[in-house]
Amino acid sequence: MDRRDFIKLTVVTGASATLASCGNPEHQLIRFVPDDETTPGVAEIKHSICPLCRGGCGVDVRVMEADAEVVREGKTGVMRMAVAKKLEGNPAHPISQGKLCARGQASIQLTYHPDRIAHPLKRTGPRGSGQFEAITWDAAIAELVSHLDALAAAGDQKALAFLSRPRTGLRGELVAQVLAAFGAAPPITYELFGEDVLRRANLLSFGRDQLPTFDLARTRYLVSFGADFLGTWNSPVAQNAAYGLMRQGRPGVRAKFVQLEARMSQTGANADEWLPVRPGTEGVAALGIAHVMIAAKLRPASAGGRAGALIEGWAAGLPDYTPQRVEQATGISPARLERLAREFAAGEPAAAIIGGAALAHTNGLFQALAVNALNALAGSVGAPGGLTFTPQANLMNANARGRTSPRAVRELATALLSAPKPRVQLLMLDDTNPVFATPSAWRVREAFEKVPVIVSFGQFVDETSALADLILPDHSFLESWVDGMPESGAIVAVASVAAPVMKPLHQTRAMPDVLLEVARKLHKPLGAAVPWQTFDEMLHKAFASLPAPKDGDAWTAAQAQGGWWGEPAAATKAEAADAHQRPAAAAEPRFDGAPNEYPFHFLPYASTQFMDGSTAHLPWLQEMPDPLTSGMWSSWIEINPKTADRLKVATGDVVEIASQHGTLRAPAYVSPGIAPDVVAMPVGQGHQTFTRFASGRGENPVRILAPLSDTETGALAWAATRIKLTRVGGPDGSLVLFGTSMPEHPEYGR
Amino acid sequence: MSHRWGMAVDLDRCTGCEACVVACHAENNIPTVGAEEAARGRAMHWIRVERYWEGEFPDARLKFRPVLCQQCSAAPCESVCPTYASHHTDEGLNAQVYNRCVGTRYCANACPYSVRFFNFFNPIWEKPLHLQLNPDVSVREVGVMEKCTFCVQRIKGAELQASEEQRELKDGEIKPACAQSCPATAIVFGDLNDPESQVSRLSKSGRGTKLLEEVGAEPNITYLQRHFDV
Amino acid sequence: MAAAAMAALCFACGQPRDDSAIFTPAHRSAGDAARDFFGIHAKVEQPIEFPHSVHVAKGLKCTAYCHASVTKGPVAGLPSVETCMICHSAIATDRPLIQKITALEAQHLDLSWQRVYGYSAQAHVRFNHAPHIRAKVECSTCHGDIAHQTVAQRNVDLNMGFCVNCHRDRKVSNDCLTCHY
Repeated sequence: MDRRDFIKLTVVTGASATLASCGNPEHQLIRFVPDDETTPGVAEIKHSICPLCRGGCGVDVRVMEADAEVVREGKTGVMRMAVAKKLEGNPAHPISQGKLCARGQASIQLTYHPDRIAHPLKRTGPRGSGQFEAITWDAAIAELVSHLDALAAAGDQKALAFLSRPRTGLRGELVAQVLAAFGAAPPITYELFGEDVLRRANLLSFGRDQLPTFDLARTRYLVSFGADFLGTWNSPVAQNAAYGLMRQGRPGVRAKFVQLEARMSQTGANADEWLPVRPGTEGVAALGIAHVMIAAKLRPASAGGRAGALIEGWAAGLPDYTPQRVEQATGISPARLERLAREFAAGEPAAAIIGGAALAHTNGLFQALAVNALNALAGSVGAPGGLTFTPQANLMNANARGRTSPRAVRELATALLSAPKPRVQLLMLDDTNPVFATPSAWRVREAFEKVPVIVSFGQFVDETSALADLILPDHSFLESWVDGMPESGAIVAVASVAAPVMKPLHQTRAMPDVLLEVARKLHKPLGAAVPWQTFDEMLHKAFASLPAPKDGDAWTAAQAQGGWWGEPAAATKAEAADAHQRPAAAAEPRFDGAPNEYPFHFLPYASTQFMDGSTAHLPWLQEMPDPLTSGMWSSWIEINPKTADRLKVATGDVVEIASQHGTLRAPAYVSPGIAPDVVAMPVGQGHQTFTRFASGRGENPVRILAPLSDTETGALAWAATRIKLTRVGGPDGSLVLFGTSMPEHPEYGR
Repeated sequence: MSHRWGMAVDLDRCTGCEACVVACHAENNIPTVGAEEAARGRAMHWIRVERYWEGEFPDARLKFRPVLCQQCSAAPCESVCPTYASHHTDEGLNAQVYNRCVGTRYCANACPYSVRFFNFFNPIWEKPLHLQLNPDVSVREVGVMEKCTFCVQRIKGAELQASEEQRELKDGEIKPACAQSCPATAIVFGDLNDPESQVSRLSKSGRGTKLLEEVGAEPNITYLQRHFDV
Repeated sequence: MAAAAMAALCFACGQPRDDSAIFTPAHRSAGDAARDFFGIHAKVEQPIEFPHSVHVAKGLKCTAYCHASVTKGPVAGLPSVETCMICHSAIATDRPLIQKITALEAQHLDLSWQRVYGYSAQAHVRFNHAPHIRAKVECSTCHGDIAHQTVAQRNVDLNMGFCVNCHRDRKVSNDCLTCHY
């Protein structure tokens, strides 16, 4: 990481938010009368929703009295406040079931982060320099209103682009409605590990444009193709909870679990059997299993149904997927494949999961269709122990709104770079960091720099919000009304909702409420099209439409328990199969870089601590030892031991990797759980700017990825890059490990 | 009858997710030491997940094991402490009394599980991170040793509550932070003196083992071996 | 947002402020550390000379309004000026001190009471009032004859021996973990 690139944030403010006394303990800051009624030392439990991944876990927040330094009416002082102290899973919530993952536990640090943006900021220096000045909310809103009015006056409403992280609740719906009423295009969402390929496959195979839910607790045989479902994929907490039951929750019954992937993930470490498979060939392995099942008459081909019909050759018993052919493609021996297939068929119930790196190839859709067909063949679709879809509460028809194409951000960048006059005049950013989480080849930073006005609602300065001209900082989730309708993880519909658990610490404001105020202040107010004064008014209206309990109303009941869950009024209908959909032929994965020049497959993976890098600023997560390497505060590059020997690389040595699109250097980590021709690297570090804890630390593997996509959906094929690797030198001290490598005591295990 | 606190950790359920590690930090005011001090081996993870690799690619195997203070009945740390800062309580806990600790670090030296952590410097919390600190738990200063306490504050809180309500504690009423957060429910805490408690039953499991049993420290955590169905 | 008026000087003594943006158990100075070690408590100065004597004479119990939280939780707590105003919005409104606190409250400012009976952080005492109140220990046993004081004075030497002796007499546990964890 080049230290010169590190952007230092310098904010000229009127009041420092952190002042203490003169040092004389008797001379304290002024004290404000408390707003909250608290009893010191006594905890109250309130509900909220963790925002860090798509799981949408309901959390219980332990709230207690504390002395906080706050600014009131321009004066700095202390005030007794009810503040959040600890998060736990909400025992009643169908997703979290009383549990919470490492990231969820750390999410409380978002609220108390020392580098939170504490008040609205206006850029003073050159764009991206980090120079801002503090302004009032009135001034900030007035400025945003003036930009929007200018667009409306010129008839240029479509020149507004709103970019955010995908959301599944009414907050996203509010943004969409405001934009629609203004006349702008719908919001664009971007997420590095977006799983759009799987949704498209599920739409084709099962008629559901949705991520799947797996009833693992009742499964007897589980095969996972590359999905890190116990770490970072889909709904980790719910999946872990079900996994515990799958293993030891049923007396005398224990499911077998097999994982197929090129690099052992945290999930893969828990498998009874771990099979390495060549990158991009997971679908072939799945169809090989299906072939054996059909050939051995363990299941009729017709059991594949709609999903099977999507695979070319299915009705004929998949002649192209004999064990020998499968071995050529994947590296799995015929004997092993046959045994796997027989065990899978005997599972009853058996289930197959695919996700993550397996779908991040140019043939990702084909891979997903293959595993869907395998599930159908095994009879696991819609059956206990198998694959199902979480019913959707669909409040205010929010779920009916189409999702953004995964091509959208790349297309936006391309359009901005190619046109002489930028097609986007005003870019609004909410909880997304595409400058960090996209390949440099997409040139997102360069593209954004062409946009005349950039407005961010971010809580922190990161690579993307550093480009903003105006920052209107959002509350942290604990200070906000929050909601969510999770796409997966439960067998009942869930609509979570929670009030703020504490008053705001800083001069931030809830983004949805800011948008509503802006909507009212426009020269042509949006009026009846956006009828709510506040976000919670919209939530109240939405929840009031739910069935009320015997004693009380749905809104009060939902807040009391953290949300509503049950059977939705209208079940989501599966979409009919498209009669014109042709079966997919085996698609071979394409890789960027010739194998003789770029001998290794490069596998960036969502790290347990940071996912796509969006939690790298939380110190507990930086210091949390990586599950597989025990690395803390570091980046590393994982290499197979034989490869390391050949290249004379030891753990800690600095190596350089290069794709056709970029280079980076990081310490090596020699790991047995990776194929000799695969090199892996965790995603999350390498932020140029992201608070004191993450800025200038480590390297970002996403940067050097090739801009290849899944052919059908356009989703970034982040596992399709090839690299070369050279040793640069000995350890530079940047690799920090908590553990040492040592063998387990010989008395344990077998 | 008095309680004897113990734990069972089911390695077949544990997935290595480390929710326990972060939950413990959050509950117990454990300082974040930063990259430099972490590089010197001074990171303080009262509970950690150890990883053990076996075999070579393609037959590599990785096993996770959460390790925390075993609250040993014959604790080596207790016999070497010159100030009685480390001693055994009637309820089976290995107590670490911060005021008594003078920082000889002999206890950490003696501990076969390497679960004791020393405060080599005064910890800092960049404001307002300090607002998250748990008022029910001490903030340790430089020169004292610390380690897992089985969330003694939660034990005391529950005992006080039960005594106020004039009733017995129920099995499962006390959950240390790690056990509460563990998504796979791999960690079970309870009273080993109660034969009906879940921890007592799990401790008798055929899969049960004790960590480094031959050292003779008599740990009070039973690890249920991971099963491998190959 | 021109709060630059808040200059970097202490409002009480006018000395430069210790703009510490960190929280740490470290003592501010060697002198502070030494005083803490020897149990020397600084003389506290309260924002106003609150007369406990007057209020107790009028029949106000400790736990009535001002230290009510001790009946609900572990900590007795110190009252906010709003508690004073429950009565003093009507009672004795002509007195200068009452007028002072009325003016404070009108500005949403509160009284910064200084704790008298606190433990040093490095004593690591997790004291809980509840079992003591349940055991019918009088407030004055540990807090002295507050009924005849104006502002509270630390007249009772709450050293560990004081606690241990009473615990021994009443046959309550003297295991370290009873209080220190």
